[in-house]
Amino acid sequence: MDKQAQLEKRNALLAAIRKVGGDPADLPFWEGCEAGVFLLHRCAKCERHYWPASRCVEHGDEAMHWVEASGRGRVYTYTVLHHAYTPATRDKVPFAIAVVQLEEGPFYHSTVLECAVDTVAVDLPVEAVMMPHESGLTLPLFRPGRVRPGRVRPGRVRPGA
Amino acid sequence: MRGRCAIVGLGITEQGVGLGLEGRELRARAVDLALADAGLPREAIDGYIRAHVEREDLRYMGLSPNFSVSMMTGGATPVFTVIAAQALIESGQAELVACVYGEAQSASAITGKPDIGSYGYGYPTLYGLLGAAATHAFHARRHMHLYGTTSEHLGAVAVTQRNYAVKRPGTLGFGKSLTLAEHQASPMIADPFRRFDCTRNTDGGIAVLVASAERARSLRKKPVYVLGAGTGHNIANWHSGEVFEHHDNIAPAKARAFAQAGMTLADIDMAQLYDPFTISPLMQLEAFGFIKAGQGGPFYAEGGARPDGAMPTNTGGGQLSAYYTTGFTGIAEAVLQLRGEAGEGQLKKAATSLVSGHGMNAGVQNTWAHACMILGNNP
Repeated sequence: MDKQAQLEKRNALLAAIRKVGGDPADLPFWEGCEAGVFLLHRCAKCERHYWPASRCVEHGDEAMHWVEASGRGRVYTYTVLHHAYTPATRDKVPFAIAVVQLEEGPFYHSTVLECAVDTVAVDLPVEAVMMPHESGLTLPLFRPGRVRPGRVRPGRVRPGA
Repeated sequence: MRGRCAIVGLGITEQGVGLGLEGRELRARAVDLALADAGLPREAIDGYIRAHVEREDLRYMGLSPNFSVSMMTGGATPVFTVIAAQALIESGQAELVACVYGEAQSASAITGKPDIGSYGYGYPTLYGLLGAAATHAFHARRHMHLYGTTSEHLGAVAVTQRNYAVKRPGTLGFGKSLTLAEHQASPMIADPFRRFDCTRNTDGGIAVLVASAERARSLRKKPVYVLGAGTGHNIANWHSGEVFEHHDNIAPAKARAFAQAGMTLADIDMAQLYDPFTISPLMQLEAFGFIKAGQGGPFYAEGGARPDGAMPTNTGGGQLSAYYTTGFTGIAEAVLQLRGEAGEGQLKKAATSLVSGHGMNAGVQNTWAHACMILGNNP
């Protein structure tokens, strides 16, 4: 892809982020989703991982960069929405929103696929699947998966990220 | 800081759904009622704090203070306005500060628009996360997972608070009893919350007037002294990955408030804890240390929060069963109890009250801010 096309793609994604009230600081994350990789913001000094984009609680902005993460975690807590707050969710309820604790530590709010709402449970191991969304963004959804106990993938610096 | 300032006036407007009054009118009436309560003229107000955004209140109300500021830290705002009022008085900027709330929250429901559909939580809204019920449900589910808390336990909170409201004229729950069976039969909103686990948006205004303790003693109403206050922000628990175990970040707030007051938990006669959902007072009672972590459910089920319980809590029905003034409900109830004006619901032992506020929808969570204070009728 030439530079011009890259720039246009980036601007389209930024516009999509702004349209849904998202944070432009998270642009690399959404670019990653489009490319099929789950990125987290990480401090190279202490290896703490963050999501959404943050400054490190200890090292500020000194060494923050986006790294590829495992995309795996466990359901930490969840809710099942039965009440449709907007017309858009009227035909979707009931649906579960899970807070996934990623292997690297941060929480990620998402939905769980391939899993009836009454089988979502705390500690359920899950892994990310990238799915296109009507907003124009590609969203990580999660499906029941395997978690290697205790393993935290160190994460590598993505070229260009 | 103990007892240097006091609440000297309280104005509570009519509270209800679909009152047909704008927020500004509710605030104006609340201020009028508070001035009448304190026996003070309009010009006595020389400081004005609006929760949440001030536009043209002063002109409309005929007030002429030296300043008017807005404060917004969610449901912690009301307690925070009293803390700020104290600071403004102590720094010589004002002698009588009005802390004012008034919103017509149910108006959007009447027009058919989703009442809290506008609550956005950043990227989680892309997945359909809407409303404060869902974000507080995360805490409730985690509590259930860790401690075995049940929907019936949450129901016990709803029933306990309704029993207080049943006897309190002017509340939405007045004369309307609620049983645990009715709670269990109410529709699920955001699992594990059923309808009776949730507050509903109501219209209403409340104003409190804050003055120095010295001034308070020359006024007509029994002063309700601010004995201590503190704040805590849940962002610290977010950073440590423990935010879902903490409904609020109570530790620093509690430490400061009780140190200022020179008091311990044993000195507290009642608690008015911010209650958008049933899990909220339950987890706060644990976090303050009135009961052990995980014991909130059994505590409520066994009547611990009733008038004759170990810690009478939300004694006017709270926001769940009385009315929702985004945190002013608890302040008003504490003032009424401490003055001995709580009518049939008056507690026998009512010399001190803990009051808390909590909330602030921002980004990926809705449980950020906490502010608490200890009010008492002896400085």
